[in-house]
Amino acid sequence: MKYIGFLVVLALTIALGVAVSTPFGAIPPLAPLLDPNHGFWQNSISEDELAEDELELNNLSSEVQVVYDENLIPHIFAANEADLYRAQGYITAKHRLWQMEFQTMAAAGRISEIVGPLAIDLDRMTRRKGLAYGAEKGIKFTQETDPETYALLEAYADGVNQYIDQLEDAQLPVEYKILNYRPEPWTAFKSILLLKYMTDMLVGDRDLEYSNLRKILGEVMLDKLYPEYPIGVEPIIEAGHKWDFKSLEVTRPDSINYPNDQLVIDPLPQPEEGTGSNNWAVSGSKTKSGNPILANDPHLSLNLPSLWYSMQLTTPNHSVKGATLPGALGVISGFNENIAWGVTNATRDTRDWYKITFQDKARKAYRYGERWEQTTFRIEEIKVKGEPALIDTVVYTHYGPVVYDKTFNSNRQDVNFALKWNVHEGSNEQKTFLKLNTAKNHDDYNVALDNFTAPAQNFVFASKSGDIAMRIQGKFPLKWKGQGKFFMDGADPQMEWQGYIPNEQNASTLNPSRGFVSSANQHPTDSTYPYYVFDNSYEFYRNRRLNNRLSEMSNITVEDMQGLQFDDFYLHASEALPIMLDLLGSDVENDAAAKKYISILKQWDFYADPNQKAPTLFYIWWRETYSQIWKDLSENLAPVVLPSYYQTVLFMKNEPNSEVFDHKKTSERETAATHIKFGFKGLLEVMTKWEEEEGDFSWANYKRTKIQHLVPQFNSFSVENVYTGGGAGILNATSGRSGASWRMVVELGPEVKAFGVYPGGQSGNPGSKFYSNFIPIWANGEYLNFDLRTPDQVDGLLFKTNLN
Amino acid sequence: MKFILFTFLTAVLVLIFNPFLPYWSVMIIIAIFAALIDNGGVAAFFAGGLGMGLAWLGQSIYISTFSGSSLPDKMGELMGFGSEMPLLALTGILGFLLGAFSALTGSLLRNLFKRKPDNIYGG
Repeated sequence: MKYIGFLVVLALTIALGVAVSTPFGAIPPLAPLLDPNHGFWQNSISEDELAEDELELNNLSSEVQVVYDENLIPHIFAANEADLYRAQGYITAKHRLWQMEFQTMAAAGRISEIVGPLAIDLDRMTRRKGLAYGAEKGIKFTQETDPETYALLEAYADGVNQYIDQLEDAQLPVEYKILNYRPEPWTAFKSILLLKYMTDMLVGDRDLEYSNLRKILGEVMLDKLYPEYPIGVEPIIEAGHKWDFKSLEVTRPDSINYPNDQLVIDPLPQPEEGTGSNNWAVSGSKTKSGNPILANDPHLSLNLPSLWYSMQLTTPNHSVKGATLPGALGVISGFNENIAWGVTNATRDTRDWYKITFQDKARKAYRYGERWEQTTFRIEEIKVKGEPALIDTVVYTHYGPVVYDKTFNSNRQDVNFALKWNVHEGSNEQKTFLKLNTAKNHDDYNVALDNFTAPAQNFVFASKSGDIAMRIQGKFPLKWKGQGKFFMDGADPQMEWQGYIPNEQNASTLNPSRGFVSSANQHPTDSTYPYYVFDNSYEFYRNRRLNNRLSEMSNITVEDMQGLQFDDFYLHASEALPIMLDLLGSDVENDAAAKKYISILKQWDFYADPNQKAPTLFYIWWRETYSQIWKDLSENLAPVVLPSYYQTVLFMKNEPNSEVFDHKKTSERETAATHIKFGFKGLLEVMTKWEEEEGDFSWANYKRTKIQHLVPQFNSFSVENVYTGGGAGILNATSGRSGASWRMVVELGPEVKAFGVYPGGQSGNPGSKFYSNFIPIWANGEYLNFDLRTPDQVDGLLFKTNLN
Repeated sequence: MKFILFTFLTAVLVLIFNPFLPYWSVMIIIAIFAALIDNGGVAAFFAGGLGMGLAWLGQSIYISTFSGSSLPDKMGELMGFGSEMPLLALTGILGFLLGAFSALTGSLLRNLFKRKPDNIYGG
């Protein structure tokens, strides 16, 4: 009896021990999570409480000092670059391990491994685009052409891995504990993959939509609604710039037969709305101190942990500080003792689609001119948490992967399209950043940029010696006019890209007479640039506001530039609203609510400050009007893009009675005024509901800026309802989910003065007091001091750690 | 008195060993401890449970208080409890169950090797 009792209790105890270490569905194992010594409770402790004087890092040539300032920004002092990047890997992993791994898992199409079947489609998409394939090419290219950089990538990976090996359960990032998995080793491949992921985040194409539009509208109407150079474009490289090179020939085929299918395919995900950036530099002639000032604010989805991680990296030869990307080496947007640089996305159509005609169902060959070319098959094994792995076969042609085929996103249409994208070609972007980190002058900057392929960026530059410069760098295909705007026939060799624009012929400018350089994702050049340049997503508002302000400003100070980064002037509204009020007429003024709204709108100064009510009213009225104007187009079954806001306002202003406003399906003849009145009714409806349910409609309360954890379901790790102004198309580009992900202003005087901030915090741990502590500072348009530090400086010191 | 001592010593064992051993090792330690101490099954169950439960609860409260972190609240929200309190309770209850069953197992193991019960009423 005693024995049975014992055995029963023993079995119960073991069963209990096992049960609390087993996941049930989405519920992680309870005991490891709740154990106060190893579970999530331990993640409540902030980094300064856990500070250690010494940490072990092997394979260093000499001791490395890490000095944390009061904001937990590490300043790494190392004897040479190998030590420096080994320490960068180690320290970055210490504060951002989960994020850096999760982002590369996403880039590799491996999210299903972590979260299960709900991510399968996402992973298939990522893999069919060939990101990992591109990273494999990149790693091979780097190994073969640049062993020095490859060795540094390995040193960084070693640093990360030594941290992972030392990592105790207590300090394991809480996301691993909740999602119940553990970090795997880091590799040089993952660093490259991360840079490819950035390309994917920043590069889109609208070939599918334009192909459909061409079929729906015809070429004439297409050019009218979507002109490649609308009136009033303010390009990045100052208009009238002289191109002092002999351009390469591009031959346009005599006859072009576009595939004529109406394509009902789900398009690839595009860069998030609001993904853009500003950067500029003003020369000493325009500043109060006589020193150049440089500013940069990249706009991306606002996430936690922040995409950016601030660091200073110092060797006896250089000292660089700014924003790093966890997982990549060096500083991405920053400055050193001699120069400063920054990046904005140089959107250009570098992604093209070719229709593939397979020989037969086996898909082993496809037509190319008179021949049949052989395909290759890439087998993608997608591991899925809690389920058997999924095998996806992707066919590769010489153009690139066949992304759309019968098995994927084709809605059973019999279509096959291959993706040609420069991300699939070997390249070494890492080298650009390593060289920029140590650059001393404009020549060094140019050499650094020569290595950069994708995602194409507008690199702004300023130096202590007084130079300011802008260069649009990427590997841009040579295209005949119109090439790549629509899907092309892959069987016709004449549709091939005809090479690349040589680096030295990429648009650039040095010390232009206007005294400033600037970019905000607009057209790169005026129409005199000898190469065909096209993209659907060129921006029309931020750049004009920026250039107007920079032209009229003088005696500029750092504070002025900070103010400009936080400028809330709503240029689009200032151009559209007077027209809308005018065309609305006076019929609605009998309605009390309408009267109230109109009076608010009429008194508005066009600043989208957080407490203003007018931006909300304008935003909704515009949205309702715009969607009504292009209703015929957007109701198409096949995906299309709509004409830009800018072009729409031009039509409203210049030809309000034009046929473009007429809905062909109605007997009535619509004009701009019809849609504006309709939109106003929509505004009244939306506002009635909003005022009933929410009350306050001030701008910040309406747009509700949210900084979201990388796992959207972890809502309590996000920060919601951030009180801040701005919006899409405004210099302070902070909308609901995207905005300035990093702001930096640097004055290059004898002593470099620098300021920076980002909407997050240095810690990746949601339990740390350093997780989101920059958000209020960022939301107020304030900055942190980013001056270079020396190792023995004591002011603003949090703690020091030696690595050896 | 013995009961309180047992409870106290169990808590001390958890505080000493749990920081570098996983919870299941601590369960084994508690079971061994209960097997070494002469104690009735019921008393072992409650004393072991309270010992480990109070240790876990105390540690959680301590970490939460001195760190001032909002993480316990965020975790509470994430797990659908809304706040930290239910999570503290859950941690304490889990500690109690683990400690209680471990101690009971140890205590019954000791019984197997006993020749003759000294006290048939337990205690």
